[in-house]
Amino acid sequence: MSPDRNEQSQQFAQRLRLGYRFVADPDLAVTRRYGLIHRRGGPGGADVPRPATVVLDREGVVRWASLSDNYQVRPDPRDVVRAVRALEP
Amino acid sequence: MTAGRLAALSLVICVATIGGYALLLGVPAVRNHPEGYVAAFAIAATVAGLAVALKQRWYAWAALALSLLLFGVGSYTNFVAAQIPAEPVVLRVGERPPDFTLPDASGTPVTLADYRGKKPVLLVFYRGSW
Repeated sequence: MSPDRNEQSQQFAQRLRLGYRFVADPDLAVTRRYGLIHRRGGPGGADVPRPATVVLDREGVVRWASLSDNYQVRPDPRDVVRAVRALEP
Repeated sequence: MTAGRLAALSLVICVATIGGYALLLGVPAVRNHPEGYVAAFAIAATVAGLAVALKQRWYAWAALALSLLLFGVGSYTNFVAAQIPAEPVVLRVGERPPDFTLPDASGTPVTLADYRGKKPVLLVFYRGSW
């Protein structure tokens, strides 16, 4: 999820050959409800999303979340895979 | 080691740090330790400082100026610009996050609650392509 327009995220997905569903949150309303805003972190002092990865189980409950205090840092993909594999089958 | 070699070494450290970080950004061990590039620039500045201490030649001063500039920019980037201020916590392990309906890349609405009882969900929030 990002504030990118659908066309931008579509190009991004195609370029990286990703099969995920990209959803657009252009006014950051949902991102804000998730408490994931980086205030004034974007160009011209605009609010941007705070990078985050969240694993929800089949009941929609948060089982793992990775948020960083530094926007250069992202979770190790192996940790994400491990968190998903730890979900009950 | 001569001042010239030390100045060259300082330059090599700077270039290798920038190139290495850029090329290895996909490696979590590199990407997730950005303080590493700050430390590398500090080492480059120290080496250049030794060059200047040996001989006050223009190339030694230039190496020192470059490495100090990169150290300054790197420190500012990592310790100031890249820092995300704390926000009130909404996401908590063991709780359900807010539901949403947003359009996907083809304009089809996606509702988070539709996945409940069916599949686990991985949500990735990213900054966008600006």
